[in-house]
Amino acid sequence: MPKFTRKGLIAGAAAGAAAAPFARLAWPDSAEADPSATHLGHDHSHATSGHAAMIGPDVPAPGGPNDLDELLLPTPALTHKPGRVREYELLALDRTIEVAQGVEFNAWTYNGTVPGPIIRATEGDLLRVKFTNGGSHPHTIHFHGIHPANMDGVFEIVEPGGELTYEFPARPAGFHLYHCHATPLKKHIHKGLYGAFIIDPAKPRKPAQELVMVMNGYDTDGDGENNFYTVNGKAFYYAKYPIKVTRSQTVRIYLANLTEFDLVNSFHLHGDFFRYYPTGTGDQFEYTDTVVQTQGQRGIIEIDFANTGLFMFHAHQSEFAELGWMGFFHVTD
Amino acid sequence: MSESAVAVRGGRSWRLWAFVPLILLTAVVALFTAGGSSITGLLGENPPAPDEFDIRRVEFHPGEIRIRVTNPQRDDLTIASVAVDDAIVPFELDGPRTLSRLRSSEIVVQHDWVEDEPIAVGVTSSTGIQTVEEIPAAVQTPTASLDSFFGYALIGFLVGVVPVALGLLWLPSLRRAAPEWLAAFMALTAGLLAFLAVEALTEAFELQAALPGGLGGAGLVLLGVAFSYLFLTALAGRLGSGERTGGGGALGLAMLVAIGIGLHNLGEGLAIGTSFALGELALGTFFVVGFMIHNVTEGLGIATPLSEGRSVSWARLAALTLIAGAPAILGAWIGGFVTSDLLGVLFFAAAAGAAFEVVVEVTRYVARKAPGGLTSPHALGGFLAGVAVMYVTGLLVA
Repeated sequence: MPKFTRKGLIAGAAAGAAAAPFARLAWPDSAEADPSATHLGHDHSHATSGHAAMIGPDVPAPGGPNDLDELLLPTPALTHKPGRVREYELLALDRTIEVAQGVEFNAWTYNGTVPGPIIRATEGDLLRVKFTNGGSHPHTIHFHGIHPANMDGVFEIVEPGGELTYEFPARPAGFHLYHCHATPLKKHIHKGLYGAFIIDPAKPRKPAQELVMVMNGYDTDGDGENNFYTVNGKAFYYAKYPIKVTRSQTVRIYLANLTEFDLVNSFHLHGDFFRYYPTGTGDQFEYTDTVVQTQGQRGIIEIDFANTGLFMFHAHQSEFAELGWMGFFHVTD
Repeated sequence: MSESAVAVRGGRSWRLWAFVPLILLTAVVALFTAGGSSITGLLGENPPAPDEFDIRRVEFHPGEIRIRVTNPQRDDLTIASVAVDDAIVPFELDGPRTLSRLRSSEIVVQHDWVEDEPIAVGVTSSTGIQTVEEIPAAVQTPTASLDSFFGYALIGFLVGVVPVALGLLWLPSLRRAAPEWLAAFMALTAGLLAFLAVEALTEAFELQAALPGGLGGAGLVLLGVAFSYLFLTALAGRLGSGERTGGGGALGLAMLVAIGIGLHNLGEGLAIGTSFALGELALGTFFVVGFMIHNVTEGLGIATPLSEGRSVSWARLAALTLIAGAPAILGAWIGGFVTSDLLGVLFFAAAAGAAFEVVVEVTRYVARKAPGGLTSPHALGGFLAGVAVMYVTGLLVA
């Protein structure tokens, strides 16, 4: 039997129906009675009946409602009090976590989650972070910011079972991050050892609904490419559980990128614009609806929603969006 | 000693004694399992399971993709996530989510796939391992309808029955041929059957290599070859083609050739049906015509032994045509609607075994009948010509 090759079969391919990449995202008629659903800016006509929708309860996302609250909602900023001690305890733990529905990932974590806990201080506070290595490999914590060389988490490797207390004044004000700096760096970061680090300015920012979003990816099959992308660690989580915000108050998002393997990640908001303050260190902002960050870059987003309803946000790399980095704001009055 | 051995032999007790090793084996296995994995403990840790799925078949229906996956490994495998072109999609399962060894499930994805464009489907296990199947071009999978039923039948008829029937029409010419030329044509039959045997064997090994390890290795091919070879050997004895030279012998040999060719056409029909159903084959005019030319020599192979004996009735000719050609129809149906690589392996292995056996029968026949025997220029030339003709006409469908 000759082998059948497919020479010439692809040639002369007729143009098929145009792909509708977001067709599946259409809101199911029955799944949500909320009238705000009409704000969803997608064409319903592409959705064949029976298509499962990528919003609401049917979305394949792990976890239950409010599971990610500790990573999404930072504790309130404290007023400026120079010299005040802010203490945190971080414990490195090997843990298997569910990163996408039904998909387990053997992660290295700070305090059991990826990303790790939010560390927050006000400019001038004395930060004291006690780090215990409960994992099976040597780790460190490397904070972005201004601090002595021996507090940098590069030279003082903490062996399994060991501990080290990092101590330094919190500065400069802005939005930063921390991550493990043990080698091989790529492995220690993509396994999950990173988190958000907020330093509030001496002059408080104006009140807002504050959210933290750490963008990341997971290479679950070890081929050096991410299989899933998320914010705050779980693929499609905010598509399943839209983030509830009100229109009357500014929404402030502390956005950081800790995606390994890919050069950049991005954030795009539907139906509105926002002010973007790179690194959150100054007053200069860009008024836009899309920002790009390389690994380690971060910034502060401020949205004053003009409308109520459901507004999508996602990476504007379609691939990332469709591999889990996609969610919704549910804006109400 | 020899006396006592003779005294023991022939009784019924050997059947009971045969159970002794089996009972002891059971005991040893039980002991080992009860002991747990202590051997692994001594040697180190077992590597993790690869956790890759075996994607058996990807079907495209309007607005829907169906992916059949099998667990090829010993450990259980759980379907966690499905992606089409690197986009996670909601899916439904027709079958279990967690697959034990060699169990299958069908994943159903609602998806507006694009006709004729490449597409990749990925199935991710609960351990995060993704198995990707790339389809060079998405084309709608034929569904089992009356139309497609007749469609596959027509393909099988055109590439199987028609060429054999046409080839049989060489019979009047062969009846008038000189004995040495008749021997040449018999050798040609042996040559073309040898070609088919090698081809079928290669195909069987290729399909077998793609099977999951759990379904056995190359031994499966040997099983199919041995079974059909021995079956045809037994059949040859019954048909009496070997010893007698009368009409029955000639008809018997023709029957054997027809069966050998029929088994081959079964595999050929299966391959055509499968390839077409999976969008891997363009069924052009050229392809069908190529197969007709390729297979017309099969009819010649059946006609040659018949030219030796008494005249054969039309009914018998029709029966021989159907035996050799109609399996292509059956194969096309199976391939088009069922698609099983396992069946493919067995069919091609059986085809190879049958063809080898018939080569042996025909060679014996040539050795007896050819003026000058097997080494006569006509016999040698005929065999080589048979192989060459199959090779050259085979290029038409490559």
